[in-house]
Amino acid sequence: MMIEKINYWVGRVLIVLMFVMTLDVLWGVFTRYVVGSQAGWTEELARFLLIWIGILGTAYASGKKMHLSIDLLPPKLGPGGQQNLRRFSNVMVLFFALTVMVIGGCRLLYISARLGQSSAALSIPMQYVYIVIPFSGLLIVLYKLLDLFSPSSQPIE
Amino acid sequence: MEVAILVLSFIILLGLGLPIAWSIGLSSLFTMLVSIPAIPAFTTVAQRMATGLDSFSLLAIPFFVLAGQIMNRGGIARRLINFAKSLVGALPGGLAHVNIIAAMLFGAIAGSAVAAASAIGSSLGKPMEEEGYNKEFSAAVNITSSTMGLVIPPSNILIVYSLASGGVSIAALFLAGYIPGILTGLLLMLVAGIWAKRKGFPTGERTRLSEVLRTFVDALPSLFLLFVVIGGIVAGIFTATEASAAAVLYCLVLTYLYKEVSLKDIPDIFLESIGTTAIVLILIATSMSMSWIMAYENIPQNITDLLLSISDNRIIVLVLINFILLFVGIFMDITPAVLIFTPIFLPVVQELGMDPAHFGIVMVLNLCIGLCTPPVGSVLFVGVGVAGTKIEKVVRPLLPLFIAMLFALILVTFVPGLSLWLPRLFGY
Repeated sequence: MMIEKINYWVGRVLIVLMFVMTLDVLWGVFTRYVVGSQAGWTEELARFLLIWIGILGTAYASGKKMHLSIDLLPPKLGPGGQQNLRRFSNVMVLFFALTVMVIGGCRLLYISARLGQSSAALSIPMQYVYIVIPFSGLLIVLYKLLDLFSPSSQPIE
Repeated sequence: MEVAILVLSFIILLGLGLPIAWSIGLSSLFTMLVSIPAIPAFTTVAQRMATGLDSFSLLAIPFFVLAGQIMNRGGIARRLINFAKSLVGALPGGLAHVNIIAAMLFGAIAGSAVAAASAIGSSLGKPMEEEGYNKEFSAAVNITSSTMGLVIPPSNILIVYSLASGGVSIAALFLAGYIPGILTGLLLMLVAGIWAKRKGFPTGERTRLSEVLRTFVDALPSLFLLFVVIGGIVAGIFTATEASAAAVLYCLVLTYLYKEVSLKDIPDIFLESIGTTAIVLILIATSMSMSWIMAYENIPQNITDLLLSISDNRIIVLVLINFILLFVGIFMDITPAVLIFTPIFLPVVQELGMDPAHFGIVMVLNLCIGLCTPPVGSVLFVGVGVAGTKIEKVVRPLLPLFIAMLFALILVTFVPGLSLWLPRLFGY
């Protein structure tokens, strides 16, 4: 299964990000109380890591089909209806990922590059932070396409 | 017009089974497309999502989730249950009270209702069944009491509220949550006790004082975390985010000493909490785009005017807002509901002289009820899942517990001192 393979690696990356984020915040507290002055970059780095974990984590959760939804209709429909509903849901998520995350995200990169925005403490160009949006968008598009066209997607439970 | 598109597209997408986060994002996008050209609309939503997550206080959420996950796996939850058992096991319906106290303690440390429901439910479900409680009753008690972790600090949702309200002090909110949370817990115990007595559920044996002491000492390292986290925040030693990261470290060290988790389990525990966190974070991200479009269309201002035109009587407006929130809570998860409705209702109640910290507690307590109702109650699903029963069967025993929660909501809404006494005592 393609989705599981890719998602395994996405998961590994996320674990590293989360680990670094934990260390980073603890380091911030440590420097403030032990060294005496808090390193200014710890807070900024943590915020950027959170954006990455949030957006990339969304792609991960999408691959695992973990997102919360309401199952009011599906049980009442026949298997054919359920299949159609699932297709519709996949197409809508695909639409959002493609338009907002990929197109909107790329444009956001382009605008911040043009304006030359970079972060206050670390002077990271903001496009490096935002790049996670189109990247995760592409992952979600890929997952949804694989789900739409995979033969194994017929029976649900 | 725009409002209609926003509300209708949201309800339709949600009803068709689309994940909540995507339904929120898509309906905001559709609404934007009415008045803004396509490419700028896409960019705006993408940008709102990124800036929505760009907040240091939100960082506390993944950390508290992670700490909860570690506690859950590492034997901390079990020690809390044992301590609760020695305290209240001898009351009629003993294990039900144990569940409520343990859920409150667990919530007080981890700040997540879903984590509490799964941790406490999975460890108490079996002993309760063996002692002759029916599964449905146990599940109902577990579900309702688990939500108290959201009111009792530390609480992720109060952090989200602080963000949505434009910076109400997290320390003040945390302190404000104690009395309402404990009060609700006591009311739940009262109802569970009466119910258990009528059904003839067993009463545990009275525990000796030495046993109480032993379990207390056993649970002490876990309880100590509470003092570190809340004490640290209230004393201004560290921020909620730093406290949450410290909690992760503390839990890791503790479970390592308890030898219940091996080092190679750690990546899995991290990954599990990342999944849970990401679901909340994307809800926050897309809710931010929805609140942006609502502000852009002037919706909060219109609703404020509308509400105040109905009445400027504080009691009537508060009752109205509570009814709306109860209704919203049935269909919406608590995180987007707080993010979307705080900017709408907070100006109204502030106009009427209500303290924003007090309103935060009212709102969260109100939405907790929605977490236990079908069709979107995440705690309900988890609670029913770990108990191995069905939603339809839990509804009956849930009803009296709901009434207890509603009663608590009314008290907390109309007696501001319940929320504000403690924060004022500490000078907030």
